[in-house]
Amino acid sequence: MFFRLLRLVLILALFVLAPPSSDAMAQAIGQGAAALIAEQMKAIQDLTAKTDDLEKKIPQEAEEDAGLVDIRLQLEDISRAALTSALAFRSRLADINNRIEVLGAPPAEGQPQEPEIVTSERGALAAEKAEINAVIASAQNLSIRISGLIDKISTMRSELFRNVLTKRYVLSDALSPEVFSDAQDEYANFYKAVSSWLTFAFKFKFQAVLAATLMALSLAAVLFVGGRRLFGRVFEADPSVEDPSYLSRLSVAFWSTLLPTLAVGVFLVSTVFFFNYYNVLRGDIGVFLNALVAVIAVVFCVNRLTNAALEPRLPNWRLIPVETGPARWLVRLTTAMAVVIGINNFLSVVNDKMGSPLSLTIARSFVATIIVGVILILMGLLKPFKATDGRWRPWPAWLRYTAFALGLFTVAAALLGYIGLAIFVSLQVVVTGTILVTAYIGFLSARAISEEGGFANTSIGRWLSVNSSYEESALDQLGLVVSVAINVMIVLVFLPLILLMWGFQPGDIQAWGYKLATGLTIGSVTISLTGILSGIVVFIIGYFLTRWFQGWLDGSVMARGKVDTGVRNSIRLAVGYAGVALAALVGVSAAGIDLSNLALVAGALSLGIGFGLQNVVSNFVSGLILLAERPFKVGDWIVAGDISGTVKKISVRATEIETFQRQSVILPNSNLINNAVGNWTHRNKLGRIDIKVGVAYGSDVKQAHAALLEIARGHPLVLKNPEPFVLFTNFGPAALEFEIRVFLADVMNGNVVQNDIRFAVLDVFADQHIEIPSAPRAVVETKKHEAWPIDDDKIEVDFAEQEQAKAEAVAEAKRLAKSGRKIRKPDPD
Amino acid sequence: MWKSLVAAIAFLAVGGSAFAASATNKDAETRTLVVTEGGGKTELALAAGETAEFCPSGCFVTMPNGDLEALTGSETIEISGGVARIK
Repeated sequence: MFFRLLRLVLILALFVLAPPSSDAMAQAIGQGAAALIAEQMKAIQDLTAKTDDLEKKIPQEAEEDAGLVDIRLQLEDISRAALTSALAFRSRLADINNRIEVLGAPPAEGQPQEPEIVTSERGALAAEKAEINAVIASAQNLSIRISGLIDKISTMRSELFRNVLTKRYVLSDALSPEVFSDAQDEYANFYKAVSSWLTFAFKFKFQAVLAATLMALSLAAVLFVGGRRLFGRVFEADPSVEDPSYLSRLSVAFWSTLLPTLAVGVFLVSTVFFFNYYNVLRGDIGVFLNALVAVIAVVFCVNRLTNAALEPRLPNWRLIPVETGPARWLVRLTTAMAVVIGINNFLSVVNDKMGSPLSLTIARSFVATIIVGVILILMGLLKPFKATDGRWRPWPAWLRYTAFALGLFTVAAALLGYIGLAIFVSLQVVVTGTILVTAYIGFLSARAISEEGGFANTSIGRWLSVNSSYEESALDQLGLVVSVAINVMIVLVFLPLILLMWGFQPGDIQAWGYKLATGLTIGSVTISLTGILSGIVVFIIGYFLTRWFQGWLDGSVMARGKVDTGVRNSIRLAVGYAGVALAALVGVSAAGIDLSNLALVAGALSLGIGFGLQNVVSNFVSGLILLAERPFKVGDWIVAGDISGTVKKISVRATEIETFQRQSVILPNSNLINNAVGNWTHRNKLGRIDIKVGVAYGSDVKQAHAALLEIARGHPLVLKNPEPFVLFTNFGPAALEFEIRVFLADVMNGNVVQNDIRFAVLDVFADQHIEIPSAPRAVVETKKHEAWPIDDDKIEVDFAEQEQAKAEAVAEAKRLAKSGRKIRKPDPD
Repeated sequence: MWKSLVAAIAFLAVGGSAFAASATNKDAETRTLVVTEGGGKTELALAAGETAEFCPSGCFVTMPNGDLEALTGSETIEISGGVARIK
């Protein structure tokens, strides 16, 4: 923007100052522009030629899905290239428009004529603009054409897929006795090809074959033995372990699948590689060998995986809790299924290369699909669990019926002649099933790691707990993060795999990935995953850099520089907040977000902030003021309103104060700014404590004063300067009141000193017979009424006893009256 | 830490709308852009003072003065006095 303005100003200045030279300059620019136009024109012509080629290729690849996807990717590239070459004109167009604006509109009729040079330049500029527009228009047309072609390819591809699935073959033709003779012929051909190659290999290339095989074997052996050495502990299931944890079972399953498969894969791939290297392969043998290698690898992998998951020999180490017999059967059936599919695939390669009749292909696929269907049904029929009463229980209903449905569907499709569909389904069952089972085991391991203490028990967790300062809870949290990461990874790895299996081409997934990365449009909002992710990553890096810088500044620089703790704290906090804000800003711009958009949002929010977040903002600003002004620092004894205690932490919103009863009080910063805050230890810890002493009227006041002063001076913690002072404060109602005022170097010792002085006062007054009066208190006795009794039975018994006693007394009185004796009066005192 | 992360994500979500090209009409009358995108041409009529977002991933635009320009999808166009400027 700035440069454009500068350029405008320069052009203007040139135009005003040196009119004759502007013509030459315009010419020079015009020549550069002509070169640019020619260059881009040529580029777009090239792109058009490429598009023509690709368009011609589309009908040729009509039967090949992968070819169509490839063409589509190339077309998309061309479209992007066309856009880029059209973009090259932007600055030139802007220049021309600016220049035209500077020249102004042509004079209307009746106005004075403008100079010739201006008219001619305007004409030249318009002509150039027209040329540029023509080139861009051709790029535009190309891009429109390409999108039409891409649409066409999409329709063709869905048509192709539908055709494969819905094409029906006549089985009666394919399954006639002719097939057997065809098969015999083909077998003979195949045998001939292989045996002729074998004789060739043994006669002329025997040493090469031997060397290649040995090399491949040794490579595989190195990998296998090395792997065993490295992961030996986790690799083998130990039959003596009674109840291995789920995680160890999982890791055994994982490694015992991965390592042998890897070793076999390396052996096979390196065999093919060395055979190629020594030119042992000849003709179609290479293709056959590749197909065979793929089949062996897949069958081996499936077998290892099922063996590892089901462990027919070691029930303790089984991942899926089925019984031993069914486990053995499941392994056999799965392997058989993989073998059938593999052989079918291998034979299809052979058929392809040998140019065998269609009937043979149909017959082969028919047999394979029927077998897979039957195996599926057999698997569904298995009863793998044992109930507590010893009866066998089948699979859960949904699994059983899915297996039945898939098996029956495959068999029915094959029987009805929909061989393509049947093959598709059976292949999906094997491959998708394997992928799903692997992914499921991965999910299980993620869950096991996220359990409490799960991560700490893994080898990494043990290593971390030995070699780092992580606590158990930190390890647990780390385990949670790891399990989330595993889940995400499983989705990222297995989703594309499954999509690949379901007829999507790598190009499709690549295109989706590209779309997801550059931006996904929902309505008018476009979300770019990479943008957001890179923003987050940049923010996290910025955050940790800030933390590191903060630590370094605080721990190394300021601690060495003997900087005051309050200043240190303030600087550390300010650096932290500034760093996080900076990291956020950098992260936002890394995410490709236009901050001017946010300015609009912020403007709208500011009203809301003004009302709703008033308190928070005021606390925030107060926090900043506290950091700058530093009325107290961490560790100070402050009194704010009713709260008195030690400052523990100063944050931007609130300050944490710990009272002497160890209660944490979170005080909003605005309270500390707006109200008076007392700080006992602001500049120094010097403080005065007052102790009141009463002396009885009639005592020797001078002697008491001297004694008190002596005590105050005698205490070791009391400062000599300022001097202790004893104040005769009042002629109180009950005593002559004195106050000992002493200054302490550390006011935190106040309680100790007060205690010491009070004890000393008591002792000294006792020695010198000075009396400390205490106001006498009257003792008032209150009469308490007897509580109302609750126990009814007791009342009755008591009442009966009283009645009886009365009756006895009356009887006694009568008896005495009869005996004639008089009751005497009590003696007068 | 988590709070900051959540805040950052919210921040990104708010600003997430900044990925398409946008056009603002600063004139007092309606201006029309012709947008060619994905094999079709559409007319984008902008009322006075209106701002519209379009073209998330590359397109061609015919400006009010007849100029044809290519956009990558991150530009801001400002129309004033019948002339469009790309920023």
